[in-house]
Amino acid sequence: MADFSYIPQVLVSGLGIGCVYGLIGIGFCVIYNASGIVNFAQGAFVMLGGMITHGLLQRYGLPLLPAALIAIAVVALLGVVLERVVVRPLWDRKATMFTMILATLAAQIVIERLTLIVGGDQPKTLPVFTDLPPLQIGGVAVSFQLLWIVGASLLAVGALAAFFRLTRTGKAMRACAINREAAALQGIPVSRMLAAAFAISAGLGAMAGILITPTQYTAFNVGVPFAISGFIAAIVGGFGRPFGAFLGGLMLGLVQSLAILGFGAGWKTVAALSVLLLFLFIRPSGLLGAATK
Amino acid sequence: MTSSLSITSPETAHRPRLSWRTVLPYGFAAAVVGYAIAVGGYPATVVGFALIYAVFVIGLNLFMGFANQVSFGQNAFAAIGGYTSAVLTATYEWTPLPAMGVGMAAALVIAGLIGWPTLRLKGHYLAMGTLAIGLIVQEITVEWTSVTQGYMGLSGIPPMGAFGFEITSDRGQLIMLASVVAAATFLSARLKRSRMGRALSAVAGSEEAARALGIAVARYKLLAFLLSAALASLAGSLFVHVVGFVSPEVFGLHMVILTFTMLYVGGIGTIAGPVVGALIISLLPETFRGFKEYQDLAYGAALILMLIYAPKGLSALFSHRRRP
Repeated sequence: MADFSYIPQVLVSGLGIGCVYGLIGIGFCVIYNASGIVNFAQGAFVMLGGMITHGLLQRYGLPLLPAALIAIAVVALLGVVLERVVVRPLWDRKATMFTMILATLAAQIVIERLTLIVGGDQPKTLPVFTDLPPLQIGGVAVSFQLLWIVGASLLAVGALAAFFRLTRTGKAMRACAINREAAALQGIPVSRMLAAAFAISAGLGAMAGILITPTQYTAFNVGVPFAISGFIAAIVGGFGRPFGAFLGGLMLGLVQSLAILGFGAGWKTVAALSVLLLFLFIRPSGLLGAATK
Repeated sequence: MTSSLSITSPETAHRPRLSWRTVLPYGFAAAVVGYAIAVGGYPATVVGFALIYAVFVIGLNLFMGFANQVSFGQNAFAAIGGYTSAVLTATYEWTPLPAMGVGMAAALVIAGLIGWPTLRLKGHYLAMGTLAIGLIVQEITVEWTSVTQGYMGLSGIPPMGAFGFEITSDRGQLIMLASVVAAATFLSARLKRSRMGRALSAVAGSEEAARALGIAVARYKLLAFLLSAALASLAGSLFVHVVGFVSPEVFGLHMVILTFTMLYVGGIGTIAGPVVGALIISLLPETFRGFKEYQDLAYGAALILMLIYAPKGLSALFSHRRRP
């Protein structure tokens, strides 16, 4: 049964997975803010990040870093393709929110099945980025992969913050988030911002997938659970607040790790989903309150 | 939209004129089922599955078509019904009918418990909340191995029957399934024209307006959700008795996408739509049989195309083109 001496160790690993959920959660928020759409195909990006990197390593023998960067770029491009092929036609026809959800969920299935056909159904993994024994900090083992996850996530969050604050495109996207019609009247190309949002969101998802894969595995069907965890992170943080979503991800990671310690690894998805339902029923506006639209 | 096929709007809720266009979908369904009964064998199996899905989709249509609500988690209730039937008959040697009744009762109780808080949610929250319920139940069927055997699945489930009589032949099962689908279709047609049907169509139009008219919106939504869950549970039970085996994959996300495709192809909100959609979607990809991954690919792509180009389903295309 639960041994309390493991708790610090468990919390440290919860931090790692929490960063990954946070990145996925930010991806949800970026698209939502630009368009009001919740993209249920978000998990496909996470899955593709790991799978494409694996493919580049295995088939073309690329080193890890270029492979990872190429994978992120390819997935970001696929995000734009998804936006053009599925989301844009529905958007132009003023489809209902429900139709949009169903269409992106169907897109998730299509991407999963294509990956299954191309890549096979065997689970795949990536080598750890730095192959050294874990550091011992006060009796807690900290693996180098964890440092990579936390470091890269913080870097991504920082870069995103700078992008939204300093660049013209970032500012335009924030204007869209505040009021799309007013933004359009200011001459901001709202539809191009939507494509940019899908690219950023897909890139973040791919990055999350690449970072987490060395600690577990990836397969064609890992996307949906990741997407749901990211969605939970976004809800806990107050939907539409990218940095709230990151905090929400950290919280979810910690709760989930404690649940694994208490009940066993098989129940981690049930634990995460129960957090979701709890938040939906009791505090749907999240810990920090929903972003005002 | 004055055709008698698209009875989605309140003003057409009166008894429709019996035109050939009303009869055609039923004629199609009857012809397909009749052919399968006459031929037996493999076509009977395919049509049998289609009819089981039709029961599920009729339930989905009550909640989504009539009341314009969203649930991505109805597979949860199919899993509850299916697994209750499977465990009680295979492990505890009950007869199918009482086991099915217990499964349906369990599905109703759980639907009531989670429906009450869930149905207060709106938009994305409702969508994700219901999706979560479906996934939670699926995870439980995987992890609760002492009862469900996890991915191994449960086998040795007896065929449907009652009073010492078992329906073992293809044709017998098909006739049984066709009767269930006919009864469910009749029920949904009656419901549509009842007080509840009118209330649901008011809720579908605008919850605020319905509330202003004095309709107990929350109660009718829950009632539609419960009916939908009961039909899902029934479909789950029928499935395990017809196949004789159940595993967690049966009631997964695959089922959600498949049944949504059926509902959209047949025409959401119509009476005959679920049956027609279930039959068409089951018959079309027969050429892909054996390549399950291509099937899901085809369903997903078809669903996206339908949502973009024909959101009202085949029945709408049909009535538009043949308008006199």
